[in-house]
Amino acid sequence: MTRIWWAQIKAVVRLEMRKTFFAKRGLWIYVVAALPVLLFVAYALANSRFHHRIAEIAQQGEKRLAYQDLLAVKTGMTREELFAILGKPPESFRWTEHRTSEGTTEGKSETKATSDVLHEDYHYADGVNELFVGLADNKVQSINIREGSNPGQDSIMFAGVFQFFFLRLAIFFGCLGIFMNLFRGEILDRSLHFYFLAPIRREVLMAGKFLAGLLATCTIFVTSELLQTIAFVWHFPPSLRGVYLYHNHFLENAAIYLGVTVLACVGYGAFFLVAGMMFRNPILPAAAILIWEAINPFLPGLLKQCSVIYYLKALCPVNIPSPSDTPPVLALLISNSDPVSAPVAVLGILIVAMIALYASSVQVRRMEINYTSE
Amino acid sequence: MSDGIVFEDVSKFYGEILGVNRVNLSIPPGITSLVGPNGSGKTTLMNLMTGLVKPTRGRVQVLGYRTDDPEHLFKILGYSTQFDAFPKGLTGFQFIYSYLRLAGRDSHSSEQLAWRVIERVNLVEAAKRNIAGYSKGMRQRIRLAQALAHDPKVLVLDEPLNGLDPLARSEMIALFRATAAQGCYVIISSHILHEVDVISDQVILLSNGYVVAEGPISTVRGEIQEHPTQILIRCTRPRELAARMLEDELTVEVSIHKDERGLLLKTRDADRLYLALNQLALQGIDIESIAPADDDVLSLYEYLIGNEEAVR
Repeated sequence: MTRIWWAQIKAVVRLEMRKTFFAKRGLWIYVVAALPVLLFVAYALANSRFHHRIAEIAQQGEKRLAYQDLLAVKTGMTREELFAILGKPPESFRWTEHRTSEGTTEGKSETKATSDVLHEDYHYADGVNELFVGLADNKVQSINIREGSNPGQDSIMFAGVFQFFFLRLAIFFGCLGIFMNLFRGEILDRSLHFYFLAPIRREVLMAGKFLAGLLATCTIFVTSELLQTIAFVWHFPPSLRGVYLYHNHFLENAAIYLGVTVLACVGYGAFFLVAGMMFRNPILPAAAILIWEAINPFLPGLLKQCSVIYYLKALCPVNIPSPSDTPPVLALLISNSDPVSAPVAVLGILIVAMIALYASSVQVRRMEINYTSE
Repeated sequence: MSDGIVFEDVSKFYGEILGVNRVNLSIPPGITSLVGPNGSGKTTLMNLMTGLVKPTRGRVQVLGYRTDDPEHLFKILGYSTQFDAFPKGLTGFQFIYSYLRLAGRDSHSSEQLAWRVIERVNLVEAAKRNIAGYSKGMRQRIRLAQALAHDPKVLVLDEPLNGLDPLARSEMIALFRATAAQGCYVIISSHILHEVDVISDQVILLSNGYVVAEGPISTVRGEIQEHPTQILIRCTRPRELAARMLEDELTVEVSIHKDERGLLLKTRDADRLYLALNQLALQGIDIESIAPADDDVLSLYEYLIGNEEAVR
């Protein structure tokens, strides 16, 4: 019997995949999945241009500089002392300030004195980072180091895009679009009876449709996540790429992000499958689930566990720190105040998905073909 | 496993709207036609026996299988619905092939069965074309092919002759007869009464969700007491025969046929009339043929339901 069920599930998957991947009404899902990729491609292009320019400046410099050299510059140094460390700057800019000072003598008469102050801005680079030094009257007044890469900061940026856009919006709405239509779309097309006339258990049909939806969403969003990762690291110079990939848990984190993406598709997919069977209008359950997921941090402990985002957040490898001036409500949204361990989180999502799938199996057995009432 | 298609006190309500009410039926093998005006409950009855809708009350069983067990039910049942929609992007062949794969069959046997049934409904040339480009008649035929593909014991066909040209109609009727001749159950709903009359072994007349009558047409006709039976007698001396028949107290009305070669007679007791005619024949009146004139679905329909919407 199990062999026949598998054969039937495969037949359902084959039929559904064709519809899911090539449905015109699902095109927007590809756009949503592509948005973070485009964001990281844009970031990569901007960064690549920056690195190219930094490399050029470093080459034009009198000396080959290291990051330590840039850090050695202190305010108050004279130009000569600066040149002794960094050499003559590859890029510089000079301008003169005409200063007028007003003064009073014996509370009576006003004297006006003018003087010219020479300002010089120097631009150095070590090939990766750049240094802006501002001199006034031959002395270093301002130092500004712009680091070409900051793995810690970059991973937080990547985590932010993943958690707040990809997970909560792209995957959420993508799953809505695909899983809700598995049954609802066919009711609207008046073609669901095709499946209901076949000698197949309704639960097996539901399992086949769920797997098809899962394959589609995983293909779309895992591909998107992979492309985001590639776009994020490809533009770095080889030395930096090595730092990112092997010394900053990047590969490990990338694998975790892929896993979280799959789990998100499982969790949201199961929710939207049952919602698509129970509700005629997808907007209402979608809004309800979106609000439920959004208010998760404010819910009591037990209710928190009945959401997908609670477990997904716990699985995300990088915590996003909230700055000290963040409003408390926003800080609560960002922080993960009540984290659970990874095995518990994975199990939690699977249990939540199983409950939703059980509800779907009950619902699918009750379903009737009555298109006129739709 | 009990035989037949059995409805036990079945009612179906769509909210407050009545589908069918208190239906008790036992449908035997052969061709059974569901006859009734629009909204009388024909499609609801078919959807109930195929599990597409669930009864609000009562129980339906098809050859002993519960209708909420599609896994087993549709191994012995094929249903050609009135729903004129198909999964998108499929050709006629893919439609049948996918249906057979859904049943758990392997690729090879699905392909063989699909081509066999496509041949049976005479759709080989169009089989590789997308169904979206099919004519109404072709769509009707591919739906029939889906219902027939797995050689079911029970064939449920909702308005199966709609959209078919006369040649295709006669082909399909022959197909239904051949299927019924193999001991299968063929349930047909139709508005086209003369076709129902030609092909049915028994009828189920429905009106406003109730079963008005069921059984072989002649039996149902015999049970209608308020309408005298009409009999057409072909003979050489119709006026003489008419005079003799009017002497019988059960004869209600006699009229001479237009061609003057027979008479149409209404009687309250057809069996006694046949005996009387035998006597007259022995007495030398030349009787060529005797045939019931209102022993058909159309007459039943008119007597029991009224003549609205009946299509000859």
